Amino acid sequence: MGNRKCEELYKAIVEGYSEDAEALARQLLDEGMPPMQIIDECMVPAIQEVGRLYETGEYFLPELMMGAEAMQAALKVVQPALRGEGAQRQVLGTVVIGTVAGDLHDIGKSIVATMLSANGFDVYDLGVDVSASQFLDKVREVNATILGMSALLPTTMPYMQRVIESAKEAGLRDQLIILVGGAPVTPAFAEKIGADGYADDAAGAVQVAKQLVAQKAGQQPTR
Amino acid sequence: MPRRGLRCQRLKFLDESDLKALYFAVIETLSEMGVKMDYRPALELFADHHGAVVDWDNHVVKISEGLLRKALQTAPSFFTLYGKTEDYDVKVDLERVYTMSGSCALHVLDLDGNHRLAVREDLRLMTRLLDHMPNLDIMHQIVIPSDVDEIGYELVNFATCYTNTWRNFYSQAQTAESVRDQVRMAAVFQGSTEEVKRKPTFTEVVCMISPLKHEPQNSEVIMESARWNIPLYIEVDSLCGATTPAPIAGTLVEQAANVLAGVVLAQLVNPGTPCIFAIASGIIDMRTGAYSGGAPETTLIHAATAQLAHYFGLPFQGGTGIDAKLPDAQAGYERALQVLTNMLSGTNFIHLAYGMMEQMLLASYEQCLIDEEIIGACFRIARGFEVNDFTLSVDLLRKEGGPLGKHFLTKRETREFYRQDRWIPTLTNRDPWDKWEAAGAKSMRQYANELARKILAQAEQEPLPVTPEQAAEIEAICQEGVRKAKEIIRQREESRK
Repeated sequence: MGNRKCEELYKAIVEGYSEDAEALARQLLDEGMPPMQIIDECMVPAIQEVGRLYETGEYFLPELMMGAEAMQAALKVVQPALRGEGAQRQVLGTVVIGTVAGDLHDIGKSIVATMLSANGFDVYDLGVDVSASQFLDKVREVNATILGMSALLPTTMPYMQRVIESAKEAGLRDQLIILVGGAPVTPAFAEKIGADGYADDAAGAVQVAKQLVAQKAGQQPTR
Repeated sequence: MPRRGLRCQRLKFLDESDLKALYFAVIETLSEMGVKMDYRPALELFADHHGAVVDWDNHVVKISEGLLRKALQTAPSFFTLYGKTEDYDVKVDLERVYTMSGSCALHVLDLDGNHRLAVREDLRLMTRLLDHMPNLDIMHQIVIPSDVDEIGYELVNFATCYTNTWRNFYSQAQTAESVRDQVRMAAVFQGSTEEVKRKPTFTEVVCMISPLKHEPQNSEVIMESARWNIPLYIEVDSLCGATTPAPIAGTLVEQAANVLAGVVLAQLVNPGTPCIFAIASGIIDMRTGAYSGGAPETTLIHAATAQLAHYFGLPFQGGTGIDAKLPDAQAGYERALQVLTNMLSGTNFIHLAYGMMEQMLLASYEQCLIDEEIIGACFRIARGFEVNDFTLSVDLLRKEGGPLGKHFLTKRETREFYRQDRWIPTLTNRDPWDKWEAAGAKSMRQYANELARKILAQAEQEPLPVTPEQAAEIEAICQEGVRKAKEIIRQREESRK
């Protein structure tokens, strides 16, 4: 790193201080550090450290998510500068995520959204009670590559299938990796409704998403 | 008949000043922040009443202390939940303790040791099995069958459980129409819908979302149930540390504000509707994000909420599923701590007390029997013992010669006393090693398996509470209800487009 402010930004993300992270990222930009360098040298190592601390059992969910939120806060400042330079941060994929229509359970889906975002995905979280058309409008708008759906109620689970059907009708199914989750959702259910992936928890969701993105990239015909 | 409704409040985690502080925090929350209710008829009803302020932009209703107190005055602290015969009636007050089965597991651990999706036959069999548990008071569906369509599933649950239990049935509904269908089904047994209204043999539960949110169907079902005088479990399922603040006290505040808003709604519709303050809250496991029903902090939340609910003059339902996956040591300790603590804290309904494991996703046949054993032992502890001239036994000691006497085993006093005093175990093995080994060296799980098979075989020979004709009529109403439910959902989706 070699830059005191960069080290401070690193520390702010590792310790999960969003406001500090945002301010420090702005200061680094003002000092003239190139945005890509801020991301690569100060921020990415920080979020990797957060992930490592979680894996080794030192960090629990709150620290993990606060780290991810601090990362997002800093990104919000740096990304416009990046675009200003005509450069683009490499993202693993663009995710549209939400809890399906009729279901107001937010927390599990939000954890997954945060984790995906911290792990290099561009995430659009539509919140709860999201209808098929809301999902698909956003997919079109941001040209999403991943659609994530959550449900906590056995009665709202079937709506996931409806969204998948609507994606097919709209001709969007093939561009999408569709992931489903939520306490009552099982791998068998995911398969039955024609989803591409399922995970038990947020860490698993990140793994599955990365895996499926890599698989899909491998399947693309080379030009 | 087994004991019904023991009074055993002995544990208190909150003192009077804690309770007052909680009371004012709840009033502040309800009157200044309010509760989100996405159901227009409910908001319109609130808007008509002095003491409620409706924010139409955000669908939030703020409830004054005065309006809350008025509702608490009409919400009864004594009422009866009716069984199919008087023997199964449950007299509810703020002191008696009852147990409940439930709820909504997706998988079963069957008697052959298989972990698989639950089917409707499991629901029937487990309801029959549970109906033979002497310590069970209220029947709730233990599984959601995978071979039943999700839309209108509660009607199939109703038809299956209601016809297979003598006990008051703890039901749920997605719509007002579903409540009416359930009234119709109960009326087949009770003779008329008027009779159901007078002595309802089932109840409804509504589950709120934290923080401070009532889904449209929650309000719809509260209002329709109240119209029919169907008692309501107004339940909040908070996840302490995630959907409510991490301190237990903060979770108690959110839970109470959330539940009480539902109680006020029920009382506005029909003053006097029995309302039970209910929770199935748990802490979030900070490592994995999982709901933990078996955690000690979860049990503390439930024990303390019992006190707070009683402070507001409402009966309380607590208790929840445990985290173990097998009927093992973890299952035993989680269940025992949870049941005993809730009992001693005066939780009036100990919910999910039978067979519920894996964060409420798994129901075990064997664990149902083991839990009956644990509940029996816990009730024995909770019952305590009497101290009086007879039990002090000084006269007996003297009569038998004091220091010159031998033993009391063969005394008439002993024989008469122990029969009513001692808890007689069913599955617990108290033999020494050699004898236990000679009898097959069986684990408690094996004993439970054998007993479950025996009870189920016997249960299949017994008459059901309803006649075959009544069962057929109930099933017909159920199927027609499911058809209507699908139509309602279809229309709702049309209107969403």
